[in-house]
Amino acid sequence: MRYLTIALTKGRLAKQTLSLLEKTGICCDEMKDPDTRKLIFVNEDLKLKFFLAKGPDVPTYVEYGAADIGVVGKDTIDEEGRKLYEVLDLGFGRCRMCVCGPAKARELLKHQEQIRVATKYPHIAKEYFYNKKHQTVEIIKLNGSIELAPIVGLSEVIVDIVETGSTLKENGLEVLEEICPLSARVVVNRVSMQMESERITKILNDLKSVL
Amino acid sequence: MLKRLLHTPEGVRDIYNEECERKLMLQDRLHEVLHSYGYRDIETPTFEYFDVFSHDVGTIPSRELYKFFDREGNTLVLRPDITPSIARAVAKYFNDENKTIRLCYEGKTFINNSSYQGRLKECTHMGAEMIGEDNPQADAECIAMVIDCLKKAGLEEFQISIGQVEFFKSIIKDVRMDEETESELKDFISNRNIFGVQNMLSDLEISDNAREALLCLPSLYGPVEVLERAEKLAFNDGTREAVQRLKDIYSILEYYGITRYISFDLSMLSRYNYYTGIFFRGYTFGTGDAVVKGGRYDNLLRHFGKNAPSIGFVVVIDQLLSALARQDISMPPLRSIHKITYTKETQREAIRRAQKMRQEGKAVALCLCPDEGGETL
Repeated sequence: MRYLTIALTKGRLAKQTLSLLEKTGICCDEMKDPDTRKLIFVNEDLKLKFFLAKGPDVPTYVEYGAADIGVVGKDTIDEEGRKLYEVLDLGFGRCRMCVCGPAKARELLKHQEQIRVATKYPHIAKEYFYNKKHQTVEIIKLNGSIELAPIVGLSEVIVDIVETGSTLKENGLEVLEEICPLSARVVVNRVSMQMESERITKILNDLKSVL
Repeated sequence: MLKRLLHTPEGVRDIYNEECERKLMLQDRLHEVLHSYGYRDIETPTFEYFDVFSHDVGTIPSRELYKFFDREGNTLVLRPDITPSIARAVAKYFNDENKTIRLCYEGKTFINNSSYQGRLKECTHMGAEMIGEDNPQADAECIAMVIDCLKKAGLEEFQISIGQVEFFKSIIKDVRMDEETESELKDFISNRNIFGVQNMLSDLEISDNAREALLCLPSLYGPVEVLERAEKLAFNDGTREAVQRLKDIYSILEYYGITRYISFDLSMLSRYNYYTGIFFRGYTFGTGDAVVKGGRYDNLLRHFGKNAPSIGFVVVIDQLLSALARQDISMPPLRSIHKITYTKETQREAIRRAQKMRQEGKAVALCLCPDEGGETL
């Protein structure tokens, strides 16, 4: 039997996915060891391989078939725009993609004004402003602490993930518009879905039954 | 010396020696299969007028085409796909022909897809088109030919997944939505994104039958039993005919004895809008994308002024080669090269000998410098 390879997003998402997989009878004890330096983990009985990758890389591995299955946040799937099957909502890691800014910026979103938008997600921001709102904007890509941008005057608003909103509040910002809800999703390579349909469908159905 | 002169641009590459010989050998073998079904060769130009590949024809988005201008200012395009060129040529040269036309071709195609790093921008396509027939026999012949090609290439494990564009089109026939919404819905369905479909349907005015069918569509894939499920969902003539067509094709494929390679996928919807009926892809291990793509395009020729239903497919040679390499499928050994080294004095004898061996069908390389090894004269 061929190995099925599963790519997980490093961090909290991986832990939650593993405990969910465990409920379906798929476990990988090697992976629980916090000191391990291994990159790839194998479950010989079920012929499964696991590896951890950075979020934005998971869709890439899956698109090219280097991994058959991946677990990754909806934000990353939308941002990367890879050719994949998005087959299951795991329900955890729930948050929202939002346009945020100081309260006075609300007015700027109403009148087709050309404003600056800082974000870690240029594709999502562009898609939302250009194709949904039909507003021309200038997008500024940042790599972290996006909230800083409107405070120091780099941009009028930001597009970012909002979980509880406490960071926003502490910095005098608020959610102005919601773009879409987010959560962890299972993605599958298109070829694997055809070639290993039976095994993959079983894993997906098992996961569905424990959600 | 400019170092950058040595580089090829992103998305194109050199192929040489063994790899190149393997590629040519593979092409020869596939070519043989196509000829064995009675297909004849055609070559069309590498670039054509923009209109041949425009939005109305329904190939790829215009921004992914390589475009340039001729001296008169016409927009020219490097072909992203050979089928529209064949359609144009057939409309031009066979306009009064009522008999079935069978053509096969091989050539490079060009797609400017910069956002996907690691994808080739220049690909070799080999394919066949059958023009003038709209029946399950033609569909089945095309699929049988694809399977023969993949077997001849040396693949053992592969799947041909057959979809049916008409099924989806008939479901949404009475649903009023703009082009943008439709293409978004298509994306959700072909990405098997059930929650996306659910979300969209909640905003649409749509009959219960159509709603149920659309919600089931992302999971309508697998072995032939899928057709039974699809039949239960069919609620108008269009959907029923669409499923019946697939059943007819399947029964002919049984005569060919190749049903073990067949599965069905009604959620598969092509981004090429010219497909009208059945539509299929060939998958195998070791490559993240399909190695074969094809389908029925009954309206494409009308665009060029000839009314003829057609079906065709293309083998993406580069994808197939990388699948063969990753699956460790060996091709028959290449011809070994016999080397003869000689000095000024033995030149006459060396040339005579080499020519004789070449006539006998051997490959011979002559070298003047004696330290290179091989046979010395």
